[in-house]
Amino acid sequence: MRTNLAILLAGLGIAIAAVPVSGHHAFAAEFDANNPIKMSGTVTKMEWINPHTWIHIDVKQPDGSVEPWMIEGGPPNALYRRGFTRDSLPVGIEILVEGFRAKDGSRRGNGTDLTFPDGSKLFLGSSGTGAPR
Amino acid sequence: MSYRHIVAAGTLAAASVIAAFALGSAAAQDSEGGPAPEAGAWSQSRTAWGDPDFQGVWRYEADIPLERPSQLEGRELLTDEEVAQREEIEADQQAKRLEGFEGGAVGRLSIAESPIRGNEYNSFWQDHGRPRQVYKQTSLIVDPRDGQIPYTPDARKAAARSTARYGVGPFESYLDPDTGERCLTDGVTAMMWQGPNGGHNQFVQSPGFVTILHEEFRDRRVIPVDGRAHGNIRQWFGDAVGHWEGDTLVVDTTNFLDRTNYEWASIWTRPSETLHLVERFTRISADMMDYQITIEDPTTFSGAWTAVIPISRLADDTQIYEYACHEGNYAMPNLLSGARADAAKKSASPR
Repeated sequence: MRTNLAILLAGLGIAIAAVPVSGHHAFAAEFDANNPIKMSGTVTKMEWINPHTWIHIDVKQPDGSVEPWMIEGGPPNALYRRGFTRDSLPVGIEILVEGFRAKDGSRRGNGTDLTFPDGSKLFLGSSGTGAPR
Repeated sequence: MSYRHIVAAGTLAAASVIAAFALGSAAAQDSEGGPAPEAGAWSQSRTAWGDPDFQGVWRYEADIPLERPSQLEGRELLTDEEVAQREEIEADQQAKRLEGFEGGAVGRLSIAESPIRGNEYNSFWQDHGRPRQVYKQTSLIVDPRDGQIPYTPDARKAAARSTARYGVGPFESYLDPDTGERCLTDGVTAMMWQGPNGGHNQFVQSPGFVTILHEEFRDRRVIPVDGRAHGNIRQWFGDAVGHWEGDTLVVDTTNFLDRTNYEWASIWTRPSETLHLVERFTRISADMMDYQITIEDPTTFSGAWTAVIPISRLADDTQIYEYACHEGNYAMPNLLSGARADAAKKSASPR
């Protein structure tokens, strides 16, 4: 499906990313595309800062210790317009994060996917998810 | 205004501009040309002091690329069938997003597959707004008619270098990331129709002034429309003076200050000191604005070029949010430490 759609889009001359690349920090400079991460953690804080939000989580290790991690999310304004408020990820909630680790090896990552323990996705079933007005 | 009407209006504007350039006339600058207004049709409202009223929040929501894709070489307009096909794809992708599908399911490629660096963020983090509007125009650039930026040979090389360094570096200092990465500005050239983290533009008018507040970086332009001449102070956003030609706001901007001192990711947005912008804002309906920008800069381009850009008005209750941002926040240390990690890896690996 993915391949087919990509071919269809390319055939039509549709730019996959319509917004031209402009002056914004590039993923490749900060995160390592060859170092994917997947972890469950408990939300301890969410920083609503530009240009990207950061979710702080505590990740329990097999030996019982706790590692604090920081996960980069979307721009605050875009999240808010999609119905994401500060109640969407309350402190103490557990989430499964998939993404890519910071190049410098610190406990930071970019969050490409975010799932709740019941398997539901962040925006699934919520209101104000960017519906046409 | 219905979807079809939006498409029709965009097509009309694009076609009339293309025709005007083909004829070498300036007729397209005015909004005549269309069919005679019907009874009860939209007419331009006015402020209390009589200027055309553009107030509200506007955003670029179309799917038109700046430059014409090579697959469409030689074609200025899509066919009705191609428009219908694209509308179907846009509607399908929008529906999938609302159903919670993300990633490849909505047409976004994985990191490995993405041909565009910097496009690796998953779509669920983004503000999709409404489905992208489909137009017949195959490029925002209508002049030159091949739909391509007319770079000078040197600027073309610089553009290739800046594309190659985007996301790669060198990042030796906090001055190496561009001014957008540093939360300062992406420049005025693309302000009306770009801003991945907040492309909203609020127009506020008062007697003698039109002010545009852009959400991302909280960029703002205070444009005098009181007949004054250009000043002589160079500024990052240049020195803008506006006047009304009929119901069209014409803004002439010179005296840019180039503090980029590196090659921007999009070199055509560089505010070189020889840059001269002429912008024409014409409201063509309650919901649509025809925005034309002509860019002249002998430092970067071999000739002037013009883009015709449809801008949509958002609902009355649309708000602009704050965009407080400081030097990329965590992005800056991540960029710099990432570059150090890359360098260390390189020097540790056997030659």
